[in-house]
Amino acid sequence: MKRYAYYQSCINEAMTREVDRSIDLWQHDLGIELVKLHESACCGGSNLDYVSPKQFALVNARNIALAEKQGLDLIVSCNTCLMTIRTAKKKLDESPALRAEVNEILREEGLEYRGTSDVRHLLWVLIDDVGLDVIRKKVKNPLSKLRIAPFYGCHILRPSSVLGKDNPLEPTSLDMLLDALGARSIPYEHKNRCCGFHTLLVAEEESLNVAAEALKEAMDEKADFIVTPCPLCHTVLDGYQSKALRHNGLKGSIPVLHLSEVVGLALGYSERQLGIKRHIVTA
Amino acid sequence: MSDSTIQHHEESRDVTFRVHRFNPQVDSKPYFDDYTIKLEKGITVLRALNYIKEHVDPTLTFRAFCQAGICGSCAMRINNMSKLACTTQVWDELDKAREPGVIKIEPLRNLPHIKDLVVEMDPLVGKMKKYSNWVDSKMPESNWGKKEFLVSEEEFLTYDKATDCILCASCVSECTILRAHKEYVSPAVLLKSYRMNADSRDGIHDQRLAGLVQDHGVWDCTHCYRCQETCVKNIPIMDAIHGIREDAIERRGTKDTSGARHAEAFMDDIEKKGRLVEATLPIRTNGLAWTLKNLLPMAVKMIIKRRTPPPPPLVKASKGIQSLRKELKEMASHVAKDHEKKSGE
Repeated sequence: MKRYAYYQSCINEAMTREVDRSIDLWQHDLGIELVKLHESACCGGSNLDYVSPKQFALVNARNIALAEKQGLDLIVSCNTCLMTIRTAKKKLDESPALRAEVNEILREEGLEYRGTSDVRHLLWVLIDDVGLDVIRKKVKNPLSKLRIAPFYGCHILRPSSVLGKDNPLEPTSLDMLLDALGARSIPYEHKNRCCGFHTLLVAEEESLNVAAEALKEAMDEKADFIVTPCPLCHTVLDGYQSKALRHNGLKGSIPVLHLSEVVGLALGYSERQLGIKRHIVTA
Repeated sequence: MSDSTIQHHEESRDVTFRVHRFNPQVDSKPYFDDYTIKLEKGITVLRALNYIKEHVDPTLTFRAFCQAGICGSCAMRINNMSKLACTTQVWDELDKAREPGVIKIEPLRNLPHIKDLVVEMDPLVGKMKKYSNWVDSKMPESNWGKKEFLVSEEEFLTYDKATDCILCASCVSECTILRAHKEYVSPAVLLKSYRMNADSRDGIHDQRLAGLVQDHGVWDCTHCYRCQETCVKNIPIMDAIHGIREDAIERRGTKDTSGARHAEAFMDDIEKKGRLVEATLPIRTNGLAWTLKNLLPMAVKMIIKRRTPPPPPLVKASKGIQSLRKELKEMASHVAKDHEKKSGE
């Protein structure tokens, strides 16, 4: 069993609880154990870095140091948490002065940021550590009848200088996983584009237009589902779906699944067990 | 087949350019023309287009000037991504082609289309004028030409990379928010504004900043990093956008725009609970009236599906919050000292 420190994102503790619920169901089936970091703090959600750059570095150095204390890599299931914490890690790794300043403060709590733990997305762990062949063998309910539109979300791809796993403009990782689960992933332009989440409360009209374009293309391509590895993308594409489509004069609907749910479905868990019934757009 | 024949085969091949065509004087709608030409390895897309124009179809229209990656005039979408035709190798694009041997060429997006591969740059220039994208000199006009107005090397390093921008508009073409609303300031203009505001010779910093925080300004960026990833000069455009936001919060506080209030709410929650209090985030960002008007129907749906975030009293503080608060306070004192030191210089 491979162990990881699991960074529980704020949104998964509140609005998208089904993500953690489904991971809890199947993690041991795939030979991984995610140990929740209850002392971790909000990463700042792509906002804290310009409100207070040094406090941003401190909060996320502490998040990573909590994982390092256990000798584990830090695993996240939210794209923006991934990008944000990795951005902080890059800054800390590239600046000995910042690292020293942060560690001087963290020392009082018995923590030290050393830069030894990697910060990774659950999707990457499934592909690189569990392995697609193992996943393929574990599939009990192949999703072979489904046409799935993979929606990567930005912060698992860009900036590539911080993330570096996939081609930021032509990603393949999620497609590969869907293939291993037996599903057919359809090619469409919006798979690597933005969902609009980060401007929902600041420029709502723009966000709704962005979301509507992605939804429209997936529906035009006759996808059965959209699947995303990011709970923020899910919140827009599922929760705001009817508003976005209505705002753009579009009709129809398309269910949106979390990555953790589509894995759970293929491993034989039911929609109810996985919390899919909690979605706004029913699957 | 001898080795030399194989080598020759790999170094030269037929390539099809599927080019977007539209002449508003004769065409009712755009279409694609295919041009198949034999090319040697090492040829750029621009040289191939020049060949087509000179030898195959003189009506094909595109812009090109320096042919050396400096002027930015030959920016176009090549295989679904905006880039400079003059620095893009045909052989590299063949590897990325969705249809074997076919390279798709289209005009930039998010700017009005004029003809074939040519777009109108006036909207971008208009925004640069609107946001005063030039150094408005602090030096009295009477001193102009009499003495140099120097900047330190240390200062220049803060905007060195931003000065690499050649205004090719590739970032503009790929911008998510501009695609959603044409009034959005655009990444290229934000980059220029950052560069001007960081220049100590400039005298209209606050005026420019006041414009940038208005509707369709710096807070509307959706953080998708597409501009940065497609910049032909590898300029960290999002760093500039974040730089303007940091500057706006520092100089104007967090109360005058929804974007700044939204960002400040994250800081508040982390200090108080170590985690986000999502239930009140819309209210703190836009006020109660906006929230009721815009989010009430969705809130009802969320309640029915039992996916509402818990109200503030029920959001548990993260374990170890006392230590985190103390640490944040200590770091805040470091930041205050940094500011004192900076202002004393």
